[in-house]
Amino acid sequence: MRQILLVTDGCSNVGVSPVVAAAQAYAAQITVNVVGVIDHGDLGEFGSSEIEEIARAGGGLSRLSHTRQLSQTVQMMTRKTVVQTIQQAVSRELKQVLGNTSIEELPPEKRGEVVRVIDDLTETAKLKVALLIDASASMKPKLAAVEEAIRDLAISLSSRQGSSELAVFHFPGSAYGEDCMLDLDWTSNISGIHSIFPRLQMRGTTPTGPALLHVIDFYQKADYGNRKNDGTDGMMSDYVV
Amino acid sequence: MTTSFEWSLPRGSIISGKWKQGSYRVERMLGEGANGKVFLVERAKYYYALKLGSDAVDLQSEVNVLQSIYKQKEKRGAKPGLFLVDVDDYRAADGKEYPFYVMRYIKGKTLSDYLQSQGKEWFPVVLYNLLGKLAELHEAGWSFGDLKVENVLVADYGRPELVDYGGATAFGKGVRQFTEIYDRGYWNAGTRISDARYDLFSFAVLCLKLQEGRRLAQLSSGLLPQTRTPDELAKLAATSAALKPLSGWLRKALYGEFASAREAAAAWQQWMHKSGAPSKASAPAPRWLKGLFALSAAVLATTIYLLLRTAS
Repeated sequence: MRQILLVTDGCSNVGVSPVVAAAQAYAAQITVNVVGVIDHGDLGEFGSSEIEEIARAGGGLSRLSHTRQLSQTVQMMTRKTVVQTIQQAVSRELKQVLGNTSIEELPPEKRGEVVRVIDDLTETAKLKVALLIDASASMKPKLAAVEEAIRDLAISLSSRQGSSELAVFHFPGSAYGEDCMLDLDWTSNISGIHSIFPRLQMRGTTPTGPALLHVIDFYQKADYGNRKNDGTDGMMSDYVV
Repeated sequence: MTTSFEWSLPRGSIISGKWKQGSYRVERMLGEGANGKVFLVERAKYYYALKLGSDAVDLQSEVNVLQSIYKQKEKRGAKPGLFLVDVDDYRAADGKEYPFYVMRYIKGKTLSDYLQSQGKEWFPVVLYNLLGKLAELHEAGWSFGDLKVENVLVADYGRPELVDYGGATAFGKGVRQFTEIYDRGYWNAGTRISDARYDLFSFAVLCLKLQEGRRLAQLSSGLLPQTRTPDELAKLAATSAALKPLSGWLRKALYGEFASAREAAAAWQQWMHKSGAPSKASAPAPRWLKGLFALSAAVLATTIYLLLRTAS
């Protein structure tokens, strides 16, 4: 299962529409979740409708959250999305086996068995979560909370039975026009990492769409690398900007 | 995502099952959880607690947990008690179907209300009984997960019951539901993999919450994420008048040094016996009392001195 979790506090203003980018992610079997971080209600109406649209196009969830609730929100969304993804897959199987039946229509005993399968898969399925963090100037005071939420998510992911990995990106990348920068490559344990965002330069633009495309690329190049030269991660490290 | 449904059921409403036709008359709402509402209901002169959910998979998952705990307890020859009475779907007035399950109604107060109304002298025995409840669950292979003040009801004579099994997790899996301040991961004291120690950690925080609630809240909001450690909690326990005698026990629970809830309960019992009935005399004298004592001693000395002088 592959997820992108976008954490932002405003509207995109450069490049391709993030809604289109999220639709592309969904087409590549990557679910996109969006958290809008609001501390003083500074996410305008336009911003909150944008995050809703991005999540809808990306087949995921959107939530507004105060920095104080950020850890909990990120936890909840990640878990919910895993359950939903599995539930959808199981429902499809059910329809094939039993015809036009949804989980809700099954009698309680049968439903119990199906839900047991869903719960098992939720706990054991392979999971990758790429966190994409808006690092435009207005996010600066919120980055400590973002880092805490990432660490908290890492604890939960490493407590699953199935293999879980996360990667962290921020955008915009640098002064040289990069849309997005990798802070942390796929890892299952971040407890040794001192700081996720060392010496981050905050910039004004918010290229949400291009950054999303960048992460989709990252996912796909990793796939490609795994297929072509198994055992080495040459492709991935080449790609690291 | 399905959010909690808005409507409520007035007293006297009938909830009837679609599959097994069991019908229940609503008395009042007891509480609201993360994934549903719990009502006090009556059927054939008996009271039950009925949980009505909005998401079939979510609620069924909880039912599965209750059923496997029941089976595992039964297998071990323990009396599982009347856990689940009925599981069914209810077609509401809005035409939608809502899943529900029915369980035993526990008449009791929440832990903090109980101690407030009955007195803090009940603290040792109620919490000891709670350790026994956890031990039973652990021996069936489950942790409770979301152990907190709100999820413990206390019936007469200090008999606690765990309610809301939404966090209950088979040992070895990731804890399904937790509350930050009671969570081992939040305090950088370990993983969220379900084991007996996870619950014992929450139990120690529960003791702090009951005795030093305000200081605990200040501590957790005042620390940076990296500086939240079990050490800070142990320090809080050691500097609390009420918890000082327990601080050794709490330290072991916070550092995961008890192998099981049974072992923890045995140590708790030793402490209860050693300290005897918590009498007022054993409480340390407040500072003003000490000051007053010093003052009266000084006055006495002066009086004697003056007396001796006038006598000579």
